Amino acid sequence: MIRIQQAPFDAGAEQRALCEGRSDIGAVVCFTGLVRDFNEKPDVEALSLEHYPGMTEAALSQIVSEAEQRWPLDGVHLIHRVGRLAPGDPIVLVAVASAHRRAAFEACDFIMDYLKTRAPFWKKEHTRHGAYWVAERATDTHAARRWESI
Amino acid sequence: MSLTHLNTRGEAHMVDVADKQESRREAVAGGSITMRPATLALLADGGLPKGDVLATARIAGIQAAKRTHELIPLCHQLALSKVSVDFRLDEQRSCVEVTASCRLNGRTGVEMEALTAVSVACLTLYDMCKAVDKDMLIGEIRLLSKQGGKSGDYRRGEMPSSTGAQIVTDDCYSGEVSLGPHADSRSVRVKCLAELRERLGVSELEIPVASLARPDVAALKLALKARDANFVLLEEGRILCAVNQVMGGDDTPLTEGDEVAFFPPVTGG
Repeated sequence: MIRIQQAPFDAGAEQRALCEGRSDIGAVVCFTGLVRDFNEKPDVEALSLEHYPGMTEAALSQIVSEAEQRWPLDGVHLIHRVGRLAPGDPIVLVAVASAHRRAAFEACDFIMDYLKTRAPFWKKEHTRHGAYWVAERATDTHAARRWESI
Repeated sequence: MSLTHLNTRGEAHMVDVADKQESRREAVAGGSITMRPATLALLADGGLPKGDVLATARIAGIQAAKRTHELIPLCHQLALSKVSVDFRLDEQRSCVEVTASCRLNGRTGVEMEALTAVSVACLTLYDMCKAVDKDMLIGEIRLLSKQGGKSGDYRRGEMPSSTGAQIVTDDCYSGEVSLGPHADSRSVRVKCLAELRERLGVSELEIPVASLARPDVAALKLALKARDANFVLLEEGRILCAVNQVMGGDDTPLTEGDEVAFFPPVTGG
């Protein structure tokens, strides 16, 4: 299940939906990314998220199916918000279910690393002194590379 | 929302900026003067009786920006750190497009200075050419973008960020030279996204495939640069490209009806 939406999401509800009616799932790892009030500048007041409709959904489903090929998964819920967000707001949710914890932890980590480097989202941070587009981070690229040798 | 130049009694007053924080301010304004094709040709060839028209209009625009406070009653006198005035001759529309950008570190915005520079540059162009063409029309004088200050950044064609509008790229979110959403099946549709769109001031445009030297992305970039030198930004190594929403490169082939998107590295999550 992949969704791009402006509205907030309820991580608990998503996790329950993932497991509903199933007793073969032994582990759910649920990651929520939040808007920080500091990033490139110390006084971030808001964040706006732009994406490339169409390509975004395609890129995310490609990432999830790659994860499903690497690990034995029982379900994935991926939600990414777009539009204007405030510090403390949830941006992204990745919930992964599997029979065992190792697969769920690793697949969730993998999906976030690939999402950060391959899905067409762009952040603009708004501060009291103006707005700027967030620059890409080398650490994100290195994090995603870890999975290439596995 | 209220008018800052009116006090509580509705009288005009100059805004006290002593307590405003200094910040980097920049504003870009644009305008155009439409003339007969023959006049534009004379202007391009330097054949007008008053001499080098563009150089004169440029100086006039720069001087005017520095004297805005003498012309507009409630404007502050500013020590501008940069003023530039540029011209683009548009043969298709038979006009000269004028853009002016002003910058300073200070407490007030510089959009009035940029608008004044454009206005006076256009008036000077009129004066320099009026001997051969009295039908010239000055128009479209407008603020294109503004950065810094309490009211935040502004770019024409975008919704103000304070409305909380969803910032996604689609047809209703065009930049200033977008040709609109009417897809021409003989063209490729080019989209510029996120920071790149803002730097170029272009959201979407269409390029006929037949106009490309070769049907591929590299040739498309050349065609875009020929159309507008600012597209040299596409040569930056960090700018990525997707063809029909799949990542591509310079040698990705193009056919009629393709959608080509250029964008900076992604920063989601």
